[in-house]
Amino acid sequence: MVHSVMTIAAEDDAPRVKGRSSLLRSPQFSSFIILVVLLAVFAVADANFLSPLNISNMMAFLPELGIIALGMTLLLTAGEFDLSVGAVFGLAPVLVMLLVQNGGWDIGVALLAGLLLCIAIGAINGLIVTKIGISSFLVTLSMLLVVRGAALYITQGFPLKSWDQPGFFVTLLAGSFNVGSFRFYTSLWWFIGLSLFAIYILRYAKLGNWISAIGSNRNAAVARGVPADAVKIWLFIATSVLAGLAGMISAFRISAASPVAGTGYELEVIAMVVVGGTALTGGRGTILGTIVGALMLRAIRNGIVLIGVPGLAYNIFVGLIILAMLILHALLQKNAARS
Amino acid sequence: MEVLRLQNLQKSFGSVRALKNASLTLREGEVVALLGDNGAGKSTLIKAISGVFPIDRGDIYVRGEKVSIRSTRDAMDLGIETIHQDTSLAPDLSIARNLFLGREPVNFGWLGVFAPLDLAKLRKAASELLKRVGISKKLDADALVSTLSGGERQSIAISRAMQFAAKVIILDEPTNNLGVEETHGVLRFVKEVRDAGHSVLLITHNIHHVFQVADRIVVMRRGEIVAEQTVADTDLLTVESIITGADMSALLKEARAR
Ligand SMILES: Nc1ncnc2c1ncn2[C@@H]1O[C@H](COP(=O)(O)OP(=O)(O)OP(=O)(O)O)[C@@H](O)[C@H]1O
Ligand SMILES: [Mg+2]
Repeated sequence: MVHSVMTIAAEDDAPRVKGRSSLLRSPQFSSFIILVVLLAVFAVADANFLSPLNISNMMAFLPELGIIALGMTLLLTAGEFDLSVGAVFGLAPVLVMLLVQNGGWDIGVALLAGLLLCIAIGAINGLIVTKIGISSFLVTLSMLLVVRGAALYITQGFPLKSWDQPGFFVTLLAGSFNVGSFRFYTSLWWFIGLSLFAIYILRYAKLGNWISAIGSNRNAAVARGVPADAVKIWLFIATSVLAGLAGMISAFRISAASPVAGTGYELEVIAMVVVGGTALTGGRGTILGTIVGALMLRAIRNGIVLIGVPGLAYNIFVGLIILAMLILHALLQKNAARS
Repeated sequence: MEVLRLQNLQKSFGSVRALKNASLTLREGEVVALLGDNGAGKSTLIKAISGVFPIDRGDIYVRGEKVSIRSTRDAMDLGIETIHQDTSLAPDLSIARNLFLGREPVNFGWLGVFAPLDLAKLRKAASELLKRVGISKKLDADALVSTLSGGERQSIAISRAMQFAAKVIILDEPTNNLGVEETHGVLRFVKEVRDAGHSVLLITHNIHHVFQVADRIVVMRRGEIVAEQTVADTDLLTVESIITGADMSALLKEARAR
């Protein structure tokens, strides 16, 4: 009897055809098309846009927000998000530099202390969200204030000179190399490596199955024995650590650690993730989309400067483009549901 | 042969005593219908058995052996599979991934949660399973559950419970929101599952369904088991009056007075 109930069309080659068209219709693909169009528009509008210097510039900034966006994508897929990443981005390098400059600590030990700080912040976020059951919006918003406040207080509001002696850690996090007339930073390798790892986790690993299931229907996942709380706590920790790593990379690159560094990054990162096609409501995440989203926001910020949009008007454009992307995703989603 | 025995289970949520001394026995190859009005404690009882939350007091025996069920994983390992009232599937995952959620086949198992899924095996096992329950031709194992109808989802959830050869399958209102045809499909499933030797605990508000598939009826009221009868020894009206708690003699008196 059940035979007669099932109504989904069943040609033999249905899965293959479906696979192809669903890639074309997937949110990360439409984001990719828009990215290409944007790049083309900027390239035509200003010849300098594709110059080695400008591309090198974009690639220097890209990993710093991109790395955080990878963690945020996994967290959003599991149905949570983290507003404290920008503050952690600021606090981690400030703490490390204070320990080195005022405490006389070895740079390696100080970096380890910074890492532990990030783990602690992520763990506290995760524990409060899962064990006490307060929404991640409220918990991480409070954490943002605490962490940013701490950064301002321990520095008395003054930026610190960062570690500028060349050495193992600087090379590891912010070394640079030339490819032809392009200048790239090692942070780009970090971003590529972490991206591949995140793609593997989300699409091919058991953990990724759990992350999507938790964000899609937490009760169903728990009923199948998936340790939802533990997974979320570890994702909060990972996101915090990635934010701290990005902060260190940035501080080393510009040889300064400012207590206000990373202000507003939390929203920029979330914008990158959702523009890429990850659902804010959980269950559906795409790392490829996030990479596209990170490239897109970077290109927009860079491109509108080049084409002469007045500085104070930047955010109008960025906001409008994000809004347009989200509307596009919503329309595609509706379309897919109807067909 | 006794498969599952619950003895004096108690569970409170704050001041609400959802379970008071509930005892119940489930034998091999039988369908027991658990009935009772809204809030009687049916879902609480089966959530306790399936490890959603711990019980406050009482004992659970599986095949005569006392067990402690602290997590959903414990219950699954004991062969108890539950299909909850609130949907049991993750809509954003494919059918295949849902079927194996929490028990994914992997390569390099020593990598723990980082182990890669054995996607080929996953897909193959999923389509074999769909074929076994008679829906292979129609459903693609890679299709997202969000694209399925309520009845299809229910079939997937039930086949998942069947696949791990669970001793006990618990269904909490599996025919809720289903059309006539889908409902019959689920009921047919219940019979098939029983014929395959599993024991079924079925929660439903539809007494007609009970008389179609159940061997025994257990009625709960305000956290207690108030009646237990074999289907052959009772009838619809009697069961209905037990559920609502209407005292038959009082009813008769009332009728006579009129
Ligand atoms: N998590 C919870 N927290 C607090 N009270 C709860 C919880 N779960 C159930 N209850 C209460 O316990 C009692 C029994 O609820 P339960 O869900 O077991 O009823 P039910 O018999 O399944 O009802 P229905 O037929 O409506 O599904 C109700 O009074 C309910 O409000
Ligand atoms: Mg219920």
